[in-house]
Amino acid sequence: MLLSAAIWLQNIGLMRALRESDRGYETLLALHVSCIALFAAMILLTDLRLLHLAPRGYSVSDIVDQLRVPKRIGFLCVAACGFLMFGMKAEEYYLNIFFRIKVLLFGMVAVHALVFRPRVYNRVADLEGSAAPPLRAKAAAALSLLLWFGIVCAGRGIGYIHPPPFSHHFVLAQATRTPLDSSGDDAANMLTSDSTHSLRNEKGAHNADH
Amino acid sequence: MGENPLNVSPWTFPILEVTHIVSFAIAIGTIAIVDFRLLGLAMLRQTPGKLTADTRLWTMVSLSVALFSGLLMYSTDPDKFYLNVSFLFKIVCLILAILFHYTIHRRIVLTAASGGQAKVVACVSIALWVGVVFGGIFIEFVKEGLSFS
Repeated sequence: MLLSAAIWLQNIGLMRALRESDRGYETLLALHVSCIALFAAMILLTDLRLLHLAPRGYSVSDIVDQLRVPKRIGFLCVAACGFLMFGMKAEEYYLNIFFRIKVLLFGMVAVHALVFRPRVYNRVADLEGSAAPPLRAKAAAALSLLLWFGIVCAGRGIGYIHPPPFSHHFVLAQATRTPLDSSGDDAANMLTSDSTHSLRNEKGAHNADH
Repeated sequence: MGENPLNVSPWTFPILEVTHIVSFAIAIGTIAIVDFRLLGLAMLRQTPGKLTADTRLWTMVSLSVALFSGLLMYSTDPDKFYLNVSFLFKIVCLILAILFHYTIHRRIVLTAASGGQAKVVACVSIALWVGVVFGGIFIEFVKEGLSFS
């Protein structure tokens, strides 16, 4: 079910256009990493402040409240690029173990937000003062750092897994270039035994690109 | 010629890469916070000068780690890199970005300049660092040789 959703996603017009574009994937990846470079340190600063580690002379509110909006904008930029990269090769990503780990970690980030946002991040006033931060704030910060570090590692790992030789989009990419079959949205139809040869050829061409 | 010890374990390169990513994210991110402040987009309760003073050590240490881990990655296969047009682009951007950061950028922040001049400096700073990242990513994707294609 998930796999067919992935195949559906990668065959909608936008994803297909991106996949067949020159340097589309590389450009999105570079934008993805650029936005990480510009915005990820805001998460680190927030968590270090909650851990009472750095920087001195800033109230919790100075950091948490003033970085909330930029962090969200940054996350949207990073996530949008990431989603497009996933979408244009959704089947390949779906089968990638590091991508699965990354999605799992994002699920844990969502749980983290559900648990700690009402208790820590939205109750900044309770955390002010020179006293040591409460345990729940330290736990929120430590878990956040751990999760985001894991997401960086898993994200880098994705590139280490080579796509399996049976990815549907290699066939479909070719089908779109054939005028006879421009309505080839149904991936299952494409995977007939007839197309096995062209599948291999497309795969070979793909490898040569890199 | 002995084998580069970095090429012995398959784990070395990924660990260097993650170290590189985390350290450049801290280096560029701390600079970007000052840039966003110069643009009037974040941390408005603090002055750009205070933000720079408080993040300077973080920037310097993480930039050093990023440079060192990058140098180690370069050493695993120098031939692959020095004849790569994207790598050369990255190095040019990096040199310009560091020079810009410790000269013009620093002066604007310290003199508490604001308005158009500060915004231009912030944009140039962000553009140079994004250029470094783009150059780094495209190393894997451009063909060997010194032409863009």
